[in-house]
Amino acid sequence: MTVQVSEISLPNRQSGQSAQAELRDAIDEQPLLDWMTRWQPFTADVLRDLAARGVPKSQWPQSRHWNWGAKMAEVSGLIAFRGFCVTCNGVTQGLMRVDLTPLAREDTQAGKPLVYVEYLEVAPWNRGDGGRTPHYGGVGSALIAAAVKLSIDEGFRGRIGLHSLPQADGFYRDTCGMMDLGPDDGYQRLRYFEMTETQAQAFLREEAPE
Amino acid sequence: MNLTRSKEWWIDKAVREQERTIAAGAGDLPGAHASTAISESAPGENRIAFGRFVSLMRRNRRLTVEELAEKAELDASELLIIEDDVHALPEPRTVFHLAQFFEVPQSRLMQLAGLTMASDSRLTQEAVRFAARSESIDALTREQRAALEAFVAVLSEASSNE
Amino acid sequence: MAEKRTMTLNLGEAEMRVLEELSAKKDLTKTAVLRQALRIYQTLDARIARGEKLLFENDATKEKAELMLL
Repeated sequence: MTVQVSEISLPNRQSGQSAQAELRDAIDEQPLLDWMTRWQPFTADVLRDLAARGVPKSQWPQSRHWNWGAKMAEVSGLIAFRGFCVTCNGVTQGLMRVDLTPLAREDTQAGKPLVYVEYLEVAPWNRGDGGRTPHYGGVGSALIAAAVKLSIDEGFRGRIGLHSLPQADGFYRDTCGMMDLGPDDGYQRLRYFEMTETQAQAFLREEAPE
Repeated sequence: MNLTRSKEWWIDKAVREQERTIAAGAGDLPGAHASTAISESAPGENRIAFGRFVSLMRRNRRLTVEELAEKAELDASELLIIEDDVHALPEPRTVFHLAQFFEVPQSRLMQLAGLTMASDSRLTQEAVRFAARSESIDALTREQRAALEAFVAVLSEASSNE
Repeated sequence: MAEKRTMTLNLGEAEMRVLEELSAKKDLTKTAVLRQALRIYQTLDARIARGEKLLFENDATKEKAELMLL
């Protein structure tokens, strides 16, 4: 399987410069090694710090225990699932797994297939919470863009769906312009968002807005 | 999948994130039970047993968390997370030191800790059994000690079959 | 998914009609419908092989019925 690589740019929020990065349409061995040997130790430090400061667990990153090795192993060989990653300077900055089989729920597109983002996580040093300055911005957006493009490529017209982890609610609703279908009882009341064809076209539109 | 846009396009997208942490994923949350997600190969059960195992091994030697941390050259707060928070993935280095200190096989403890894919369903079964038998957490009873010794035997024996 | 291969399908009238109906309903090309069917079939097969059960639940009565599909 040949991995397709798209050249992208990410702002380095610490230096203020922009960096060249890659958006890759598969998660192979290296990103999983990076997850285990770089993301995990950094996360452990963050959790130690949170524990020491007495921050309640409800405020700890909700994806802290995600095991990406297991997540990719369980869908290995299954064509309904696709992995994507963003790398910069040879280090994995973000991971995403999507499912191509779920159907849209929003009234205007109910019953039509969409790309459902099952898991989307940026590297722990790119997180904006806990009072730290994130390292690279734009990683999440690049992965969302990949999901939308995949949806178009597969004939789903850019439709995507996802359950947002709370801090990103505003991003999906206001910045991406997605439809907010509200808290989902089946999913710990996380908000479920969908992007319509029109919203997808706006999101991927090439001319930079004013 | 290929997506070509100008450098400015990507930077503009990034700016619009406004420093919010972008994430999605309902299928795997602390305490969640999303029935439509493909079930993962029981890292939870192993991980519970791992925390319980570390806790009992420590108390069997009559060590406080601080004392174990000192003797095994580890961080006390990470040990607390290992024993208390079944959702936190321990650092590989920590598991390595614990395996050495408790004299159990590396690879089995790594698997139990959820750091490598659990491919051994028997280990998981034994881990669940151990976790259930060791449920009461105050003084280490004779029952718990017996459970602990039996489980150590399983860990070592499973490894000798590799 | 760079290279694609072409295959000729032999479908009966009823099957062809279903393909066209699904294509219209889901707003997908007939090829896209079949690719989707393949994804779903493979996923169901894999989950059942892992020991999971495929059920339908009646939303009103909460009755569950197992689907002996595969």
